[in-house]
Amino acid sequence: MARPPPTPLFVLRGSGAPINTLHFSCQEPSSALLFSGSGKGAIHVWNLHTRRAERVLEGHGGSSIVWVNTIGSKETLISQARDKRLCTWNLSEGRSDVTQSIFTGSVGFCQGSVMEMHPQRWLLAYPAEDMEELVELPSGVPVCSLKPDAKLGMLMCVKLWQPDGGCGPMLLAGYEDGSLALWDVAQRQILSRLTTHPEPLLCLDFDPVGLRGVSGSAERAVSSWVLDGQQNLQLRDTVELVNPGISQLRLRMDRRILASAGWDHRIRLFSWKKLKPLAVLQYHTDTALCVTFSDHKDSRLGLMAAGSKDQRISIWSVYNDS
Amino acid sequence: MEAQRSETEVRLEVNRCIRTISTSRDAVEVVASLRTLAGYLPDGPHARASASEREEFDRAHYTMVLKVLVGGLHADWRQRLTSAEHTELWGAFFLQGPPDQALLVIMDCIGTIGQSSGQDKMVDILELYLQNGRVGALLWSRCQGPGSPDSPQLRETLLGRMVSLPDLMANRLYPHNRPLFLSAQYYSLLAQEFKFALDKTCKALKDGQDCSLRFVAQLLGKTCVQGHSEHLFKDLVPHLSASTRSDMVWQRVCWRLMEDIPDRWMESVVTGLVQVVTGPAALARILGNLVVKNKKSQFVLTHKLLLLQYKYETCVLRTLLGYLAQDRERRPLLIQVLRALCQAWSSSSSVRHTPVEQQLYLSRALLLCVSLLSEAELQELRAELMQCMLGGMQCHLDSNVVRIRRIGMVVGECLSSRLNTQEARLKFEYEQDEETKELVSMMDPFPPEDAVLTDSDDELTPYDMSDDREMTKSAPPRYIRDCLEGLIFSEDPTRVELSLQAAEGLVRKNPSAAREVSVELTKVLLHLEDKYSTPSFLALRQAAMVALAVVDSIPVAEYLTTEFYSVNYSLRQRMDILEVLALSAQELSKPIAEQGRPSLPPSAAVTLVDPQSVPSNWRQVVEQRIQSKTRRFGKSGAPAPVTATPNRYASVAGFFFFPLLQSYDRPQVTFDLLGSDHLVLGRLVHTLGLLMHLAVNAPVATQMGRSLLDFVWAIRYHTDQVVRQGVLFSVCAVFLSMPGQCLLAELSDHLLETRAWLADVAEGDADADCRTLAMQALVLLDKSLRTQLEPSALDLKS
Repeated sequence: MARPPPTPLFVLRGSGAPINTLHFSCQEPSSALLFSGSGKGAIHVWNLHTRRAERVLEGHGGSSIVWVNTIGSKETLISQARDKRLCTWNLSEGRSDVTQSIFTGSVGFCQGSVMEMHPQRWLLAYPAEDMEELVELPSGVPVCSLKPDAKLGMLMCVKLWQPDGGCGPMLLAGYEDGSLALWDVAQRQILSRLTTHPEPLLCLDFDPVGLRGVSGSAERAVSSWVLDGQQNLQLRDTVELVNPGISQLRLRMDRRILASAGWDHRIRLFSWKKLKPLAVLQYHTDTALCVTFSDHKDSRLGLMAAGSKDQRISIWSVYNDS
Repeated sequence: MEAQRSETEVRLEVNRCIRTISTSRDAVEVVASLRTLAGYLPDGPHARASASEREEFDRAHYTMVLKVLVGGLHADWRQRLTSAEHTELWGAFFLQGPPDQALLVIMDCIGTIGQSSGQDKMVDILELYLQNGRVGALLWSRCQGPGSPDSPQLRETLLGRMVSLPDLMANRLYPHNRPLFLSAQYYSLLAQEFKFALDKTCKALKDGQDCSLRFVAQLLGKTCVQGHSEHLFKDLVPHLSASTRSDMVWQRVCWRLMEDIPDRWMESVVTGLVQVVTGPAALARILGNLVVKNKKSQFVLTHKLLLLQYKYETCVLRTLLGYLAQDRERRPLLIQVLRALCQAWSSSSSVRHTPVEQQLYLSRALLLCVSLLSEAELQELRAELMQCMLGGMQCHLDSNVVRIRRIGMVVGECLSSRLNTQEARLKFEYEQDEETKELVSMMDPFPPEDAVLTDSDDELTPYDMSDDREMTKSAPPRYIRDCLEGLIFSEDPTRVELSLQAAEGLVRKNPSAAREVSVELTKVLLHLEDKYSTPSFLALRQAAMVALAVVDSIPVAEYLTTEFYSVNYSLRQRMDILEVLALSAQELSKPIAEQGRPSLPPSAAVTLVDPQSVPSNWRQVVEQRIQSKTRRFGKSGAPAPVTATPNRYASVAGFFFFPLLQSYDRPQVTFDLLGSDHLVLGRLVHTLGLLMHLAVNAPVATQMGRSLLDFVWAIRYHTDQVVRQGVLFSVCAVFLSMPGQCLLAELSDHLLETRAWLADVAEGDADADCRTLAMQALVLLDKSLRTQLEPSALDLKS
């Protein structure tokens, strides 16, 4: 007899709007934070000890937040919203100032992606009108724009990553026509393209060590693909789901667990090695919009957060025992 | 002339020494004589005799000398010897002369003298004898030369002593037996000596010397037939298997050894060997083509182990059939075995009259055989296999036992996939389990050595995911009438599914509303077809019907029991009716109180010491502490006082029970209970037995028991084992539930006959369950008879 599925560790209520995006900042366990971006333009900073919202940041004029992330420490925040703007915030010493504001021009749902290139220098990819823009942070110097030649439709999701062996950064991008493209940022060209879904590709995550990724769409399946030695994307197996639609896929830092947020209100967990289904977490009463894992240094403290259209954030502790 | 003289000289000298030893009281004289005799031993400081003298001594005088030595066990001179002298002049005689004579004298001596220091001495000598590898020397002495010159009596005695040494010793020495004489140790020592003798034989053969393995083979055979093959082969077979791998001489020695085993012991040797040896190749190296040459071993290997016995592991089957398949000369035997297996598998009588385990065994062997066939052979045997498959599947699928049906399906699938490489293959829907998987795996003749693949994901144990169902758009019905409507009129699969899912809950939540529509809803449910492949359709439908029968027992039970015998129902529906009746009766007979109160977890059973209560003495304090620290699993610490609740079933049992007995003997066009529909009959008898069992203590139990006994009496010799099981189950239920005095009155006429019938079944039925049930019934009957008869017997006495 299998164990009954776990229940949430605790639930954060009070955002008053659908939770679109979540981001943990738990480098210092004593002051672990969770950032959440709501459908009404508010960014909540939740203290995971008091389990209360420490602050609420409003800087996007009430338009829906698409993505939040931190760079460096929990003091610098990036937020992206549907008011076509991307802001960086300075949150140090109780401040809450917008230090930089970039006009993106994108009204889509595509989230940005950020990666540390050198100490204290980050590369940010964000969607612009029918192309991706890359800028360097914190200077804000534009690096390049990547515009596909063929008509692939709207950009749906991106993921920046740095391959081993000295090559420049790579970018994985999912498009509206269900295809996935691997961009070489330095050469500004697509190295490989793969049609993974018949429907628009909604989310993806990638494991730069195992060179393996997964993507989700509006169908009943999660596709997994690999990057071979010749930088070609190749389709691997798919995992069938009971209900269609995946909002987000996230791989845990230790590369053991994959989590998916589904339109069927459920969070699913898979083992990363074989994509074996491990658990179906039923708590939310509306579409689960996002799921993310914490960046605790001590993996036993690790948390998972899921946000839903039902305005609640559920916090879970799963497979932390070993 | 020379030999003649030395013979006389030896005789004279030995006789003189013997006389001295047995009569003289002078220790010095005796020691001198012993020294002289020791001169005839092959080794040692005193050895001085020539080869011919020694030969003469060994032949004619050795046993005599040993006997004299044994006779002098208690003589004075022995006390005077130092321990070194003792070993040299006394023990050495037993360990250096011809080992066979020594063994016989030692064992005779231990057997004749009782427990004493003398016996201890001899046991010591025997231990030394075994430890010094004298048994190996004995075996080797018999291997030399073209054949053994012994008389048959001597050989038999020697074999007997060697094989049953542990038994003899245990009998004589109890309770002071030595560990070396325990059978596990002794036979592994014997295995070592076998290795030694065979090794020497191989070397001698390579040197061009003639050898005979007859004695060794006889010893092997006799050891096996006395049931010690396991201990013996455990050490011996791996050695044989390893030695024969590269050495042709070794192989020939092994083959010869096997061929020399007398027929009467062949079976136990071969059976023991097949079970221990790993893999067909090793068996072939050890046995050679014995199966072709020796009729007895052929019978055992190709008939007895496969068709008459069924206790062996699958690996034994693999070894055996693989061995038959390996060689061109043995190949025809494989075909012959396959034909025999086909015949047995497709015989309906064997399906009906042999235990399930045997059929499983047979099916494994059949599939293994088929998997070993080459394409050409397959083409040749195609027609026969096809016939076997069709006939066998028919009689397997006809069976009432799920396991047999499943075996039929799996074997059918496997055979058809082997026969038709391209064309249509059979495909059945059956539940996979260990058994079917194992059967299917038989089609792969060479399983990977390490079949257990370690799943690296195993560290992450999945949680229960059974709740992960498809989301539904529409809302489930909230009232029982909506639900009923949904089931009757809806063409919408989701609505039907939701209604079905909600039905049980709605019925239980609002019993009064459910009573208004109970019969109608039951009717709808009973006739409901699984049009939309609703997941777990049967379970949901059944749960709803059970809920209805519980909430509104009498009308629903009346309806269901009437419908059971009416026309135009499928067997499935009739079985459903029976299941629903049984399950609802079960639920009704449970106390109601338990439903409201969830059972407490075990930890809650720990009672804390009440700080308020002042314990009266220390003993109580200790007692309380022990109680508070003791966790009791399963049973709560102190059994809660049982509150009496009315048994809801008792009052309605009759409505469930009697209508089912009304018209079983009136066959209809579509339903012939006592004829071909024995599937339903088996279920009916089971259900009746259950209904009877649940009615224990109910007033109506006596009448129910009487009717049930009448009913099952007529069908107690039914050919179908499921029916017979049901009959026996019912009988047990009657014995359990019927009040004792009524039972006696009821049975009075049939009592002896019943007992005889039950005893007969307990002893001779082919089905294991039937036998156990019959045994159970006998015990119950005896118990209730005893309680009934004893008080009256006492009355008579007083």
